[in-house]
Amino acid sequence: MATAADGVAVARQAELRRIEGNSCFNKARLGAAIDCYTEAIALCPDVAVYWLNRGLCHFKRKEWAKVEEDSRRALALDDTLVKGHYLLGCAMLEKEQCALAIKEFNKALDLLKSSNLGDKMAEDIWQVLAKAKYQDWEIHSTKRVWKMQSLKEACENALQEHHFLSGTLVGDGSTNEYTDQLKLLSEVFTKATIDDTPTDVPDYLCCQITFEIFRDPVITPSGITYERSIILEHLCKVGNFDPVTREPLKEHQLVPNLAIKEAVQAYLKNHSWAYKLN
Amino acid sequence: MTSSSSPSRKALSKIACNRLQKELAEWQVSPPSGFKYRVSDNLQRWVIEVTGAAGTLYAGETYQLQVDFPEHYPMEAPQVIFLNPAPMHPHIYSNGHICLDILYDSWSPAMTVSSVCISILSMLSSSPAKQRPQDNDRYVRNCRNGRSPKETRWWFHDDKV
Repeated sequence: MATAADGVAVARQAELRRIEGNSCFNKARLGAAIDCYTEAIALCPDVAVYWLNRGLCHFKRKEWAKVEEDSRRALALDDTLVKGHYLLGCAMLEKEQCALAIKEFNKALDLLKSSNLGDKMAEDIWQVLAKAKYQDWEIHSTKRVWKMQSLKEACENALQEHHFLSGTLVGDGSTNEYTDQLKLLSEVFTKATIDDTPTDVPDYLCCQITFEIFRDPVITPSGITYERSIILEHLCKVGNFDPVTREPLKEHQLVPNLAIKEAVQAYLKNHSWAYKLN
Repeated sequence: MTSSSSPSRKALSKIACNRLQKELAEWQVSPPSGFKYRVSDNLQRWVIEVTGAAGTLYAGETYQLQVDFPEHYPMEAPQVIFLNPAPMHPHIYSNGHICLDILYDSWSPAMTVSSVCISILSMLSSSPAKQRPQDNDRYVRNCRNGRSPKETRWWFHDDKV
């Protein structure tokens, strides 16, 4: 019969397996690490982090079905694991389940705000989130463009038929209603698809140092807005001045530019192609 | 005296690469007037032709600028030199090195290749005489081992030209 003491011994044994697994993982011996975590799981299947760590090994090996399985098991035990949502999201993205991947990445980002995992993790999550958003846009925009194209053709045909029946298909040159309407129709469709046409992001939504769309914009006392990470790097490596105006500038003077942040979010919502990363 | 070779050829960082791709795309849409980018597949070294502005000492003359980007551009300035023959100018040495503060101490990451080019053209345009800097021979002799102008401790004594 199992006693409480046995339970403690088993838990301790599992913990030792985890530690050994972590050390193998750090030496990039993934097969050995997976074996250790598997043993830990066999001993204590209710510990989320064993599943999570094994999932991370599968992630490194790009074994996506296993990543999905282990991250789901980990999240079932503890839904607040940032890395769990990150792994599950990556597995979903591999399956081109973009909407599901985006959901997981957003959860991970939300949880990250109240954790101490730091900027590196936020950057990693942001990268895959952007990738998922872009893929999602690619899939949907292709469908939208195709639908619009067939609608446009149908409208053109209807217009032609209408003018044919009323005998106005060929005008006298000065009052060619048919060609005017055809031109107008084309303009209407161009306007309707403009948001789905990748172009340059407006300058006012881009940092003047990175030339990229803002993610965490901060404004200086001179009124210039920069990407937080790059202006911090500038202050640290180049000097204590505003890069555009050359006015003196210290880190504590930087203030989040929430209006621009909202403008970026609104822009990205309607122009998801702007998530494209180089 | 420092003795070191030409700019380090460490590959561009991701930030540098992104930014240069965008600068190049923008340049191709609207190049600064008087400049022509020589097409190449090397993002880290641009060769740019500059033509002297009408009504200046260098009107109609064509020179070549070579711009090399460091790994951490734009946190570090690019190295900009004139290829041989360099224009005769009180701030341009015969080895192509340019005495211009924004290329060294006064660099700011908000500057671009395009804005640097405009500064260089304006420097040429305001030249009062086609002559070499007074210390040309001494300076060029000191650079014989291939020293980069970015390693020079520049003395920007004259901002009128």
